[in-house]
Amino acid sequence: MPRTGDSMRGLAVFIADIRNCKSREQEKKRINKELANIRSKFKGDKQLDGYQKKKYVCKLLFIFLLGNDVDFGHMEAVDLLASNKYTEKQIGYLFISVMMHHSNDLYKLVIQAIKNDLSSKDPVHICLALTCIANIGTPEMAEEIGDEVPKILTSPDTLHGVKKCAALCLLRLFELKSDKFIHAELSSRLIALLSDQHLGVVTSACSLIQALVTANTVEYKGCVSLAVSRLSRIVSSTDLKDYMYYFIAAPWLSVKLLRLLQSYGQPTDSAVYERLKESLETILNRATDPPKSKKIQHTNAKNAVLFEAINLIIHYDSDAALMVRSCNLLGGFLNSKETNLRYLALESLTKLAVSDFSRKAVMKHQETVVQALKNERDLSVRQRAVDLLYAMCDRDQAEEIVGELLAYLEKADYSIREELVLKIAILAEKFAQDYKWYVDVVLNLIRIAGDYIADEVWYRVTQIVINRDDIQAYAAKTVFEALQAPTCHENMVKVGAYILGEFGNLIAGDERSGPIVQFKLLHSMFHLCSNQTKYILLSTYIKLINLFPEIKGDIEEVLGNDNQLRNSDAEIQQRAMEYTKLSQIASSDLLATVLEEMPQFTERESSLLAKLKKKSNTLVKERDDGDNTSLQNVELSSAPVDVGGSSLLDLESPSGTAEIPEPALESGTPQDSPVLNNYSAPPAAVAAAPPAPAAEPSLLDMFGGAPPATDPTKVQVVTGLIECNEAAQPNFKAFICSRNNGILFENEIIQIGVKSEFTGFEGKLQVFYGNKSPLPLQGFNTTLFISPKDQPSLRLEGQKVTLLISAGAQIPQTIKATAVAAFGETPLLQISFSAAGTAHTMVLRLPLLVNKFCKGTGMGAQDFFMRWKNLNLPAQECQKVFKASRPMDNDLVKGKVQGFGFQVLEGVDPKPDNLVGAGIIVCEGSQVGCLLRLEPSKPAQMYRMTVRSSREGVPELLVNLLSQDL
Amino acid sequence: MIKAALIFNNHGKPRLTKFFTYYTEEMQQQIIRETFLLLSKREDSVCNFLEGGTLIGGSDFRLVYRHYATLYFVFCVDSSESELGILDLIQVFVETLDRCFENVCELDLIFHMDKVHYILQEIVMGGMVVETNQTEILTHIEAQQRIEKQEAGIFKPSGRMGGAPARALSAAKSMAPNVNLPKLADLQNISLPSFKKL
Repeated sequence: MPRTGDSMRGLAVFIADIRNCKSREQEKKRINKELANIRSKFKGDKQLDGYQKKKYVCKLLFIFLLGNDVDFGHMEAVDLLASNKYTEKQIGYLFISVMMHHSNDLYKLVIQAIKNDLSSKDPVHICLALTCIANIGTPEMAEEIGDEVPKILTSPDTLHGVKKCAALCLLRLFELKSDKFIHAELSSRLIALLSDQHLGVVTSACSLIQALVTANTVEYKGCVSLAVSRLSRIVSSTDLKDYMYYFIAAPWLSVKLLRLLQSYGQPTDSAVYERLKESLETILNRATDPPKSKKIQHTNAKNAVLFEAINLIIHYDSDAALMVRSCNLLGGFLNSKETNLRYLALESLTKLAVSDFSRKAVMKHQETVVQALKNERDLSVRQRAVDLLYAMCDRDQAEEIVGELLAYLEKADYSIREELVLKIAILAEKFAQDYKWYVDVVLNLIRIAGDYIADEVWYRVTQIVINRDDIQAYAAKTVFEALQAPTCHENMVKVGAYILGEFGNLIAGDERSGPIVQFKLLHSMFHLCSNQTKYILLSTYIKLINLFPEIKGDIEEVLGNDNQLRNSDAEIQQRAMEYTKLSQIASSDLLATVLEEMPQFTERESSLLAKLKKKSNTLVKERDDGDNTSLQNVELSSAPVDVGGSSLLDLESPSGTAEIPEPALESGTPQDSPVLNNYSAPPAAVAAAPPAPAAEPSLLDMFGGAPPATDPTKVQVVTGLIECNEAAQPNFKAFICSRNNGILFENEIIQIGVKSEFTGFEGKLQVFYGNKSPLPLQGFNTTLFISPKDQPSLRLEGQKVTLLISAGAQIPQTIKATAVAAFGETPLLQISFSAAGTAHTMVLRLPLLVNKFCKGTGMGAQDFFMRWKNLNLPAQECQKVFKASRPMDNDLVKGKVQGFGFQVLEGVDPKPDNLVGAGIIVCEGSQVGCLLRLEPSKPAQMYRMTVRSSREGVPELLVNLLSQDL
Repeated sequence: MIKAALIFNNHGKPRLTKFFTYYTEEMQQQIIRETFLLLSKREDSVCNFLEGGTLIGGSDFRLVYRHYATLYFVFCVDSSESELGILDLIQVFVETLDRCFENVCELDLIFHMDKVHYILQEIVMGGMVVETNQTEILTHIEAQQRIEKQEAGIFKPSGRMGGAPARALSAAKSMAPNVNLPKLADLQNISLPSFKKL
């Protein structure tokens, strides 16, 4: 086609002018001149004809392309839409779709013009309108024109050129307003488009159906067999006339069809699947055929189809033979000259590496992949190699792969280091056979890429060291050595400080790492560190005082130094001050209690995985298993409860010693950081706990109860058993007044145990499912149920468990509970699975009771009676007389009441047999004070129990619970 | 879905920008700049896909591009598109341009910006591939051109309009030696490499 003499001279001259400009200023000047010219023309009295408008609008487009703001001309463009000349209409639509946003006032006119064109007899006009909607559709258009488009699309008279546009136009409208276009009649006609004679129509329809399928999978299921037969026809044909692209039949359509099929599982109809399998095999076979053309386009198109076919095979994940063949083909591509192919092959292999069918076949290429990591020039290809190594890593290969990744880390691009560090840390933890190796790897990470260590990485290593006593001495020794290096990253100081503070004593025997040496080494870094690290170091110092009383003097000197006590940072001041006082006042026994070794961290989902997921949502999903699954919200309160509004009333505390919520003094330490929560909190909590006024103000009371380092809510533990039938659960009672760990359920197939922990308004349950049978439990699934009444009062969040528990294995599930308000019923846990072909379902009550959030509180007699009298409304009291179900032993009853959550107050009630207690139910944002009076009558073997509370309904809850177990 | 189709030259000057999702003008300019910075550093031997910049949508998006002589053709796509497929689509686009403009060069794109848009429209619509068959695409464009000629013939005396852009183009080309813009000698390089070689 020659360059036609059709367009606008003024435009060409203007463009030439712009191109002749020698500087940006000159260009700007010329553009402004032109803008002024066009503006005056548009505003002028003289009526412009269509050609002139077209020319000016086109100039504006060019000016816009150069990156200049154009804020007029819209009206003129809309005028052009109404022209009956095709070229003018066309440029009008172009202007609108490039430059106009639908917030523009003129949009109503645009919609009107589109409507007119849709009803035009001229197909080219219809196409223009449809194209415009497809490009810039708005919800209003869907509303006003939505009904027209499906008609055009499904009418037998419509030309295929128009049909193509209509299909994509409908796709846009569907995305804007999906509910309008879902009905059975339409879906069957749309599916039929897949058999259209014109391949262009099928291509567009394929995109449309792909989108519709995601919204309505069932209704469009019919597209599978049509797509398979279409694909089969394309694959087997050698001559599709115009749709042959460099000897490949309709590659785009093939890719689209293969994508569409990935919306569904493997076809259940065996005839359909056989046909599909045949096509897939043909595609795989062709990959190794000699090329029909030397042109890159030929191989490109061929491979586009091949990769998509492999994606489908991976998606089905069922045919080992096909998957292994795919692996081998892709393995061949790893040595291809084409960078694109190497990139895509690595990517697909990563997906294959997580399937059991092809895992081994992928492993064969490990060496090549490692080579790619070393030699590949393209960063993005190297990154794919990292992903693949991460995905294919297993216990046997871990040391080698982690070693390679560490080597790569040293020269890796800075932009990917953080992610790489996370991946290495996760692999090292997951596949560690020897935890010494794990510690070495993480310390190496810090050494090599200290700046790129996310906090989660070093939190995690300290957690693991604390939980495994077999490596603590080794860890202490290793960090001590690492800290001696001439340069040492701050993150290393953090880990070192933490570990030496806990386990420094384990290496103190050697005089080269004696107490004073450790302290001096740590303190030599102090002045170089950020405040965050200084906080940790200060905590370490006080811990060292406990570990090594002989260096108390040296440490007190540092703590009491004005550099700390008068530091500009309040947190440093506070820590230094409190630690100094603690060290001076407390006896060594008390110190040992306050500063005792950190308790073990309960296992929960690795914070590293969460972090990595946040960073990249690439392949983490597939790597998850049992203990590392993503948190799944099992139950969420539908509406947030307004707790702030009523909290003041609820703070009505019986003793005046209501627990003050932990102040947010952990500046710089994220609230959710597992390590620091406990470690850096003591000073804050010590400061926050007010002295108990009534009781003897002993130091033990001051310190013993409060610091989170020693578990503040000590709950007793008992073993019990629950049956599915919750009406008769004799042993569940045992959970009421007591401990939280034990077997929930056990039969010959499964054993379900629970461990729980409550802190403030938060509880954490770990449920362990153990498979006792010789066969795997399949389709394993758990669901939590909260009574509708309690839905806003209790929030649960739990991990998902794996679908399969192999014989003899045990998997944990973590459930987090938050008490938003006092709740009545215990949540239920439904478990279903199939064992040896039989389906099992059971429902268990979880030992999550409202009194688990109750915390005892002390007060004097006067205080008690004053509060008791104030709570005199009928709804604030509940009384019950009941028969004792156990021997009425005073000590036993006292133990039960305390285990329930009340503090027993001595000397309040004049009758020695009577028992009074006080407690606070800690909920999120509110606290409910509760008082108890229990009067036993031994001759009658009866109790009279009275509970008063500031919150209605709570007395009944507590009475009902506690009376069950007395 | 194809989120955007961009053409810019080796200096980052945009020659075609088409966004299929709405971005403010400012964002559009930033995306073009960012994309150019990402691509201009890449050697020709590295792979033709890279993860999208921060502006255009993060890790779910990829830039698929080809570099022809002085021009970069870039499609920004999400994960539902096949990378090799898009690479071929760019090829179809360029081949079509070449057929329409007879050995297309950068100047053709500049002086016929509207036509480039129309050609793209025949291939990609609303971010989806609409046609890949070159013969069909060309038929459509020729049909459009016929209408254009007719309308020009009916409503404007052909003498006034005929050959104007061609003249302007040759004028621009002949002016080229006097300005900083591509010299005549360079024009050979500007024109796209013959596809038979590729």
